[in-house]
Amino acid sequence: MGLIYSKQMLGAAAALALFTAAVPANAQTRAETLRYVTGAAVNTLDPNIPGSTREAFAVSLSTYDRLVSFGRKQLNGKWVFDLDTIRGELAESYTVSPDGLKITFKLRSDAKFQDGSPVTAEDVKWSLDRAVTAKILGKAQLLTGSLTDASQFKVIDASTFEVTLPQPDKLALPNLATVYPIIINSKLAKAHATEEDPWAQAWLKENTAGSGAYIVETFKPGEQVILKRNDAWNRAAGDKQAFFKRLIIQSVPEPATRANLVEKGDADIVIDLQASDAQALEAKGKLQVISTPQYNAITFISMNNQMAPFDKPDVRRAVAYALPYDDMFKAALFSRGDLLAGATWADGKPPSGAFPIKQPIKLDLEKAKAYLKAAGYPDGFSTTFSFNVGQSATAEPMAALLKESLAKIGIKVDIQKLPDAQMSTQITEKKLPFFTEGIVAWLPSTDYFYRNFYTGNQRWNYSSIDNAELTAVAQKARFEADKAKYEADGKMLNAMNFDLMPQIPLWQPSQDAVMASNLTGYTYQFHRQVDYRDLSRK
Amino acid sequence: MTTLGATAIRAARRFASSLPALFGVLIFTFLLMRVLPGDPAVFFASGPNSGKEEIETIRKQMGLDKPVPQQLFLYLYDVGRGNLGRSLMTGQNVTKDLRERLPASLELTFSALLIALVLAIPLGVLAALKPGSLVDHGVRLFCALGVCVPTFVSGLLLIYIFYYLFGVSPDPTGRVDIFTTLPPAHTGFLLIDFALAGDFDGWWAAFKQLILPACTMALFVIAPLARITRASMLASLGSDFVRTARSVGLSWWRIIITYALRNAILPVITIAGIVFSTMLGANVLVEKVFSWPGVASYALDALLSSDYAPVQGFVLLMASVFVIVNLVVDVLYGIADPRISIG
Repeated sequence: MGLIYSKQMLGAAAALALFTAAVPANAQTRAETLRYVTGAAVNTLDPNIPGSTREAFAVSLSTYDRLVSFGRKQLNGKWVFDLDTIRGELAESYTVSPDGLKITFKLRSDAKFQDGSPVTAEDVKWSLDRAVTAKILGKAQLLTGSLTDASQFKVIDASTFEVTLPQPDKLALPNLATVYPIIINSKLAKAHATEEDPWAQAWLKENTAGSGAYIVETFKPGEQVILKRNDAWNRAAGDKQAFFKRLIIQSVPEPATRANLVEKGDADIVIDLQASDAQALEAKGKLQVISTPQYNAITFISMNNQMAPFDKPDVRRAVAYALPYDDMFKAALFSRGDLLAGATWADGKPPSGAFPIKQPIKLDLEKAKAYLKAAGYPDGFSTTFSFNVGQSATAEPMAALLKESLAKIGIKVDIQKLPDAQMSTQITEKKLPFFTEGIVAWLPSTDYFYRNFYTGNQRWNYSSIDNAELTAVAQKARFEADKAKYEADGKMLNAMNFDLMPQIPLWQPSQDAVMASNLTGYTYQFHRQVDYRDLSRK
Repeated sequence: MTTLGATAIRAARRFASSLPALFGVLIFTFLLMRVLPGDPAVFFASGPNSGKEEIETIRKQMGLDKPVPQQLFLYLYDVGRGNLGRSLMTGQNVTKDLRERLPASLELTFSALLIALVLAIPLGVLAALKPGSLVDHGVRLFCALGVCVPTFVSGLLLIYIFYYLFGVSPDPTGRVDIFTTLPPAHTGFLLIDFALAGDFDGWWAAFKQLILPACTMALFVIAPLARITRASMLASLGSDFVRTARSVGLSWWRIIITYALRNAILPVITIAGIVFSTMLGANVLVEKVFSWPGVASYALDALLSSDYAPVQGFVLLMASVFVIVNLVVDVLYGIADPRISIG
């Protein structure tokens, strides 16, 4: 049985709240302009360039199309991206073969690049070849969906394109909706390719050759990007155009200034305010504050499982029971987000195979002392706790509470604040014993989390855990097609994780999107940035 | 005319003699960046799936896979050809970034220095004329306040009052309102470019953006300038030639301006030169608060992410500016006091 999704069917459902607003006939230019301010900066127009920032990702979503994109769903009353609904973007429809090894895309006949030339299967082939062949970021991402080689991509005819997989992989299709596999105007790009740069990376970094909803008007790296609407674009849900005629994406490094700008109405939306500012603005009630727990991101307290004393599970358990979770959550995030502690698991078994789930752990100093004694450290020990400067607003109060609480069971903690580049270097080299860091997964499925963050000698395995059984279950789960078995594997992984306690999941911080009260359509996206195409003004 | 020519020749010789120092700065910064524990490749390879391969790619791209002496040699070769390398952070050539950002910083610093001098010299003179009086104490209090309030506090305070409360100044985001069309770039100084283009609305828009950050910076440097003016005026007012001038009955105006101030101005020029160079490099907080696209905030961001090329380029630029400013100060000495010749 082949699965056939048509974009109209899904589009109709997803379009409900998206474009409820009609454009007033004689609208002011300001009303048709969206001004977004951010502390970070756009540094490239091609999201594939190593070193691309998240702001650059967001711009690329508006300037390029992908074959498919994620739908959206409501989670606790807020719109978030939906990993399980994939709708066509440049593809009009797609079919997955019964054995799951072939995905066939039918391209939209009306899709044109911004220079007016039609989007063909040749362009798709060149773009995806580039994503898996060139030395760019897309390569490592697409690998997670079994997309590794140019021979997997085949042009059937001008508007039909086929992807072949070595094994059925649930993440193959979602991967094509991520930031990297942009569809590029191959003729234009090839004209700017050189012998040592066959994929035109240098040119595409500063120029766009896409079919996306917005056209780059000015690009000043590190300062601002101004985009104007591509009126021919109709790939929003329900075959609509994007709402705003002009987008201004501007870097404003000082968070207090960003808060002032949005409060005065000079900026329309900002997502990186300090938690205290977001709270204050919410309390004033003039603006809309949509606060979505980042359900694909987690903040951890990690312990290096290869380094004494954290190589002993009992030491790690002791630390886990000695942390004042509620106080830390309040002090660091003003309780904005989802705390991952304080659950009760009936008969000690994880209630779900999803990841992350609330852990059955809370502050219990007696238990912590007992574990410490069992580990052979009845009088405690000394260690350092590190965090990076970029996170100090949240990590500093959290570290202070951690230090105070661990002192009660005899663990003396020195707090060490590291510049961001130093912190990432030391994490990669596995030199830090005890630290806090965050992770994010674009495609948040349980096996993906465990495979990327709990296995292998690589940077993202913060706790450096090396457990053969856990690795085996996670690898097996990756290609598990049976939903019930997958859930069972997930539960098993969650149980093992809690027992081994390689690192302590603390919370999922909220993304506080603070915006003018007349904006609608905001959706929390997998890349944790604003997708400008979602927004409109009432 | 010959004196002017001689000054130029001496200035050129002076400049040439500072080249070894610049070279030293170049090598020192290069080595320092490599000794710092942060690895830029790891930092920039921080996409959600970046592994060893991405790190290696970036390392190769930055030339970090080669041994350090070879890297240094290549870097010197590039610098010799006017290429300062590529920034990973902005993805641009450092030379281009600096060329775009330096005028922004210079315009801000010049304006701030001008405001500071216009305020500080009269204040210092006033304080010196009546030492110990209420005016003197007032000036002292003002200076103390200016110097003890950090620039980001005074900056945020000014924004709060003039932008947030009264709405008289435009939003503090960069050099010019985002909807204003920029004039053709001749000098990179927006005030001059707008004036050249005859666009006075644009000039006014740029001026309004500039005035708050310039005042913030000026507040911070008024103190050293006013205090040094006061001290040096006191010495000069108590000197023999001022007593003589008074005794022959010259007007007080002439005594103060022509005789006392002209003799007292030398140390003020020295300090102004130092203050200028320091402001240019150290006004990072002001640049951050006002989203000013200047060189200092650029260098700080680069330093945090261990982006080698911009930091090295910035330090080299600052060293060159320092050399030039000192040269200008020396030339100004000669104008202020013809007895002094530079050499």
